[in-house]
Amino acid sequence: MKAQKGQVKVITGNATAAYAAMLCRPDVVTSYPITPMSEVAEQLSAFHADGILDAEMVEVEGENSAMNVVAAASISGGRAFTATSSWGLSFMYDAVQQASGFRAPVVMAIANRETPGILAVSGGQQDIVSARDTGWIQIIVEDCQEIFDTIIMAFRLAEDYDIQLPVMVNYDGFYLSYLAQAVEIAAREDVDRFLEPLKQQPQRPRLVPGEPLGAGTHGIEIGFVELRYKHCTAMERATTKLDKIDKEFGELFGRSYGGQIEEYLTGDAEIIVIASGGAAGTARTVVDAKRNEGIKVGLIKIRLFRPFPRKRLVEALRGKKAIGVIDRSVCFGWNCGPMYMELRALSPDIGVVPMLSYIDGMANLDITTPHIERVIDETYAAARGKPYQEVTWIPLEE
Amino acid sequence: MAQQEKKKSRVFDYFCEKEDPYVGGVAWCAGCTLELAARFVPKVLGNDMVLVGCPGCSAPVFYGQNTGAWHRLSYFSCLMTGVASSATGISRYFRRIGKDVTVVCFTGDGCAADVGFQPLSGAAERNEHIIYICYDNEGYMNTGYQRSSTTPLGASTSTTPAGIASKGKPTPAKNMPLIMSLHGAAYVATATLSHLEDFAKKLLKAKEKKNEGFVYIHVFAPCNMGWRMESNSSIQVCRMAVRTNYFPLWEAENGKFRLTQETANPRPIQEFTRPIRKFAHLKEADIDKLQQMVDERYAFIKGLCAIGN
Ligand SMILES: Cc1ncc(C[n+]2csc(CCOP(=O)(O)OP(=O)(O)O)c2C)c(N)n1
Ligand code: SF4
Repeated sequence: MKAQKGQVKVITGNATAAYAAMLCRPDVVTSYPITPMSEVAEQLSAFHADGILDAEMVEVEGENSAMNVVAAASISGGRAFTATSSWGLSFMYDAVQQASGFRAPVVMAIANRETPGILAVSGGQQDIVSARDTGWIQIIVEDCQEIFDTIIMAFRLAEDYDIQLPVMVNYDGFYLSYLAQAVEIAAREDVDRFLEPLKQQPQRPRLVPGEPLGAGTHGIEIGFVELRYKHCTAMERATTKLDKIDKEFGELFGRSYGGQIEEYLTGDAEIIVIASGGAAGTARTVVDAKRNEGIKVGLIKIRLFRPFPRKRLVEALRGKKAIGVIDRSVCFGWNCGPMYMELRALSPDIGVVPMLSYIDGMANLDITTPHIERVIDETYAAARGKPYQEVTWIPLEE
Repeated sequence: MAQQEKKKSRVFDYFCEKEDPYVGGVAWCAGCTLELAARFVPKVLGNDMVLVGCPGCSAPVFYGQNTGAWHRLSYFSCLMTGVASSATGISRYFRRIGKDVTVVCFTGDGCAADVGFQPLSGAAERNEHIIYICYDNEGYMNTGYQRSSTTPLGASTSTTPAGIASKGKPTPAKNMPLIMSLHGAAYVATATLSHLEDFAKKLLKAKEKKNEGFVYIHVFAPCNMGWRMESNSSIQVCRMAVRTNYFPLWEAENGKFRLTQETANPRPIQEFTRPIRKFAHLKEADIDKLQQMVDERYAFIKGLCAIGN
């Protein structure tokens, strides 16, 4: 049975995140304000004050505490939500790793922001790139509706008995966080219905007062190795699980996003451009234009960044003649974009073809249509055997 | 027989009649007062609680070893930076589902006064329903007896060693219990292991007050190894800390201060420092400084107790 038509509201990405979290009926909510996500905290507090959100609200004194609060509430058996950005994520770094080590299925929204210094109050994905090895599931979304839908899906994924891992839902800070778009807010009953299957699953392990059970105590030696192995295999399972949840979401709400990756005109494409977040939306229009010029280009939007969607990417990229990757952050030590670096690791499976790294959209600079045209043109030329530059910092070459 | 019955005190009851949640042979040093505190707390508060702890000398026992447990308590282990905040998450969740749970944090001074201070201060200010017990062994013992911010003036530790150019720690201890009481917590108290009746009363009060708000108990807990003193001297050292006013026993209920143990004729500070070799290098002038600090702090507490009486 399809979901009823939701109310359409024109709201910012931040407000959207708060609406989605509220509808998932969290038990414990906490967050510490930071530009550009503060509005999430404010909106959730307003929901609580208005009696719409029935949850324990903890106004913590810093992000480190925010993460510890949600992880512990989650290990106690509750549903917990928080949001942050940039330095906030850095300040909870120890607790972030602990939360995944605990297998605490919390959901955290992140309005992505740069990090090199206090004046870097601007968009970029360096914050989550720095957290890619924390053992969290990381999903990157493109627009406000996708923020809404993905936060709801994130709870299904995080709390799934086979997964039990925390999930970060990432959206472009400054762009999406402050951009108001029309968002269809699903009805409460329909969100309940979508999350209902979690209740049918076996109860996940939890802290029980008075019971001799240790939570957060890890094994040493072989016990430790076993926990790590289980964590890794759960990460692996999250790939296809996301596809499944996304499909199910589509069946109920009529919107789905391709799960791990979204492919656009990839089937017959000769070359592929890869992007994530809001840039994927711009790329889609440029791909349309280039198709009209007769260039067989397709787009892959990476949604799942951790675990990396290896299998799906290999299937989509095998046989393509060149790949251009747009990154909104850098990979220190490799001097290229991080997604590009990950894509390079797939070479043995897809065959050696020209791969071009483009660094763009840092520090609130726009990833414009001419920029993406350039990416496509150069990738196309490389596919035809023209010499190419491996890494291009687009803003520096304009 | 009848006489033996009469001799039974409350403390005796706690120790001998309540179930001990720990197994024997745990990894604490002989004479360690932290062990005594860790065993005493559940005896008074009951085993039906959630214990929250972190790295420190309490950790190896609380964690257990691999699949082997050393106690029968429900335990949540976290990082030194996240004790009071994790306890907040636990307490809030159980409050939300309407379950009355006693959440007890049990950490060293290094966590409470230093790296874990921010979340502790935050939780106290929010008046979370948590009991936080800090065992103060005046340093980071688990990592090798380094100084913490509660290490006293002049103490020689592995990061403030006494030497030709050093007299040990150059600054006095952070007055943790006083700082916590100024957060407006529901109940703050000091306790030590030579005065178990006093400690037990405070724990019972803590259990009652935790439904109103934050509770902080600062337990003076000498470390034989780090302080370099005989393993059979720890209780005597606790007692002398009280009798010299080095560690006065007081409580503050809703901001109202009260000494729970008055010392009629306080002994000179040497009687406390003498068996402790971390003070062995101190000259008379240094001891005088320590004495002066003790007197000033005691007068301060006395003054606070006088307010509103
Ligand atoms: C963030 C962090 N920094 C450093 C350590 C290393 N460390 C482990 S135990 C400890 C000292 C703990 O001191 P305290 O809390 O006073 O407990 P005690 O060892 O005295 O029982 C330190 C610094 C740690 N576990 N976590
Ligand atoms: S080192 Fe000190 S505090 Fe740690 S167990 Fe030994 S005596 Fe106790």
